[in-house]
Amino acid sequence: MRTLLASCAALLLVSGAARAADPGVTDTEVEVGDVNIMTGPAAFVGKGFSLGSKIAAAEINAAGGINGRKLVVITEDDGYIPSRSFQALTKLIEVDHIFALNGTSGTANVMAMMPLITDNNLPTVVTEAPASLVYNPVRPSVFTFGANYADAFYAQLKYIHDHGAKDGAWGIIRQDDDFGKEVEQGFDRASKEFGAKMGPALRFKKGTSNFSAELAQMKEAGVTVLANGGIFAGAANILAEARKLDMDIQSAGVWSEGIPASARLSAPAGYDFMVADYVSLVGPANDKFKAMAKQFVSDDELANISRYTYVSYIGLKTLAHAMSLCGKDLTRACTIEKLRGLKDFDTGGLSAPVSFDNPRQLSGTAVGVYQYDVKAKAFKALTGFQQY
Amino acid sequence: MRTGHFREKPGQLIALSDSRTVWGWTLALLVALALAPLVISAYGLTLMVAALIAVVGAIALNILTGQTGLISLGQAGFLSVGAYANGILLADYHVPVWITIPAGGAAASLVSLLVGVPSLRLKGLYLAITTLAFAFIVNHVILYAEPVTHGPNGLFVNGARLFGFNVQKGPPLYYLALAMALATLFATLNLSRTRIGRAWMAIRDHDIAARAMGIDLVRYKLLAFVISSFFVGIAGALMSLQLRFINVDVFALNLSIEAIASIIFGGLGSVAGATLGAVFLSFLPEALRLSFAALPFGGADLLGNNVYEIRGIAYGVIIVLVLRFKPDGLIGMWRDARKYWSQWPLAY
Repeated sequence: MRTLLASCAALLLVSGAARAADPGVTDTEVEVGDVNIMTGPAAFVGKGFSLGSKIAAAEINAAGGINGRKLVVITEDDGYIPSRSFQALTKLIEVDHIFALNGTSGTANVMAMMPLITDNNLPTVVTEAPASLVYNPVRPSVFTFGANYADAFYAQLKYIHDHGAKDGAWGIIRQDDDFGKEVEQGFDRASKEFGAKMGPALRFKKGTSNFSAELAQMKEAGVTVLANGGIFAGAANILAEARKLDMDIQSAGVWSEGIPASARLSAPAGYDFMVADYVSLVGPANDKFKAMAKQFVSDDELANISRYTYVSYIGLKTLAHAMSLCGKDLTRACTIEKLRGLKDFDTGGLSAPVSFDNPRQLSGTAVGVYQYDVKAKAFKALTGFQQY
Repeated sequence: MRTGHFREKPGQLIALSDSRTVWGWTLALLVALALAPLVISAYGLTLMVAALIAVVGAIALNILTGQTGLISLGQAGFLSVGAYANGILLADYHVPVWITIPAGGAAASLVSLLVGVPSLRLKGLYLAITTLAFAFIVNHVILYAEPVTHGPNGLFVNGARLFGFNVQKGPPLYYLALAMALATLFATLNLSRTRIGRAWMAIRDHDIAARAMGIDLVRYKLLAFVISSFFVGIAGALMSLQLRFINVDVFALNLSIEAIASIIFGGLGSVAGATLGAVFLSFLPEALRLSFAALPFGGADLLGNNVYEIRGIAYGVIIVLVLRFKPDGLIGMWRDARKYWSQWPLAY
């Protein structure tokens, strides 16, 4: 009798454990966290990103959710400050009990959150700042979607070289941080490989707005191909300064310049600048996405769709796909396993297919090169997605 | 017998407080703080740790700015020196944390001498700019001294154990931060009642008059820098323990601004004011978040993404209103309330 009772108790315990879902999962809902830049000068990045999560969640829920569970996205603002990212994710984990994480803000921000992500074995798709620091070393629950800045710059410089670079030197101006370092790696690789005449390689501090001295050096050195490592207003100021000096340049830029707000800032300089990106900026896939999004968001939001909307959408769709493969017994361990096995997940042409079945758990490394047509006020695709 | 204005024994003049009620409330607060981890959620504890670290930083800045009158915008620089010293010793050299935390303070103290020396000839805005420049220099050194600091890649700070406990999260980190905050508080309160503290106040009020009275400006100004930076370095070390990752972006200029805001908002020159200011400003964003979440009829949902901007504006408006109507800051409000309570029904 005692043995029978013990066996029953053991069975109850085992079945209870089997039914005990991970945090963030109820019979009706699955909660996914999003830590993002919702305030401050870079708020448009976070707002664009948050829009992508909203569209993806709405589309998934309209199609029945994740095996009948409604997908709920909870956003927390970090103002682009790493210590606040840490606090925001602590809140999402401890108070909201999220199941997984999609939005991860900037590079330093995601690194500040990394100890919490690994401690909690939180399935995380990093799409916003896919720096090599995120996947090197590989963390079991972290999956990265996106190319590195080095490849993005190499792709643009290769295009310029292959399609007739102007005579003159190649110069680079970049931030003195981890991001800038990657930009310079791409520049170094391209300039060596194509035997370019080297111009100045200049560094600046994040937040610098006056580049007159730097551009004067570039002009002096006869730079005609410029790797512009500035972001947002910084990139626009660099181009404006080049125009002031009447420089005839071909400019390669960061993918953050591929969003409408950045393009509007850079346009007055009058250069048909380039960017490389791991998501599509223009084309039938983007038109289809916008038509689909129309049913879930307002006209104002529709006008604010940017590359950050696409990366967030892809990240959440990927995460949701892995969760749906786990069936009703949704656990973090299962989601991570399914993400790890993900191969050729179709993003509807918004990017190259997503595959995390590689040792680095990294995808989306193929980039396409785009050019902003100042007259038409629109980007045009110069290449398809390619690995570099 | 205790009176409002008269002291019967010389010892009463230098006592922290001669009121049993004050000591009773202080004890009750300490007991409540000690028991907090038993009742507060993990998230609440994270916020408490952040507030305690802010308290250490604000009290330290108060020594320099509030008590000695030397305006510093270099807090972020001193914080990063303390954090990196702690992080590098812990992660790269596996030095025990009971050495690395004071080492963080000592490193910041040492570096502060570089800024302290120019401060002998500078004051006001000129000193503020000098300290700001110092923060930029520290930033550059961290970025370019890659073999030591790991440069732009940053550094994961792991392996801090004290008495067998992991002091990087949960209650052990909370108790460590609490102990450091209390130690800083009592050290500063005691310092301010010594010859050193009085010399600092004399320098703040009129440095030429202070020198005429025989106060060695070189010695006391440098001492203010060294002691203040020591505590800021400790705050940086605690920050690195809590975040477990540091790079230059973690120590942005806004930290220096927030530290200045804390001591002004709390009440410049007062240790209690600096403490109140740091605690209040640490919890204000969370209080605003909870207030907006509690808006009736789904108000927060109606605001959509604008809720973040509105919260940010509300944060600024609260600070402006308090400083407009209570320029003495929180400590001034507290003193008014105490007077009103003790002298009621007489006008205060």
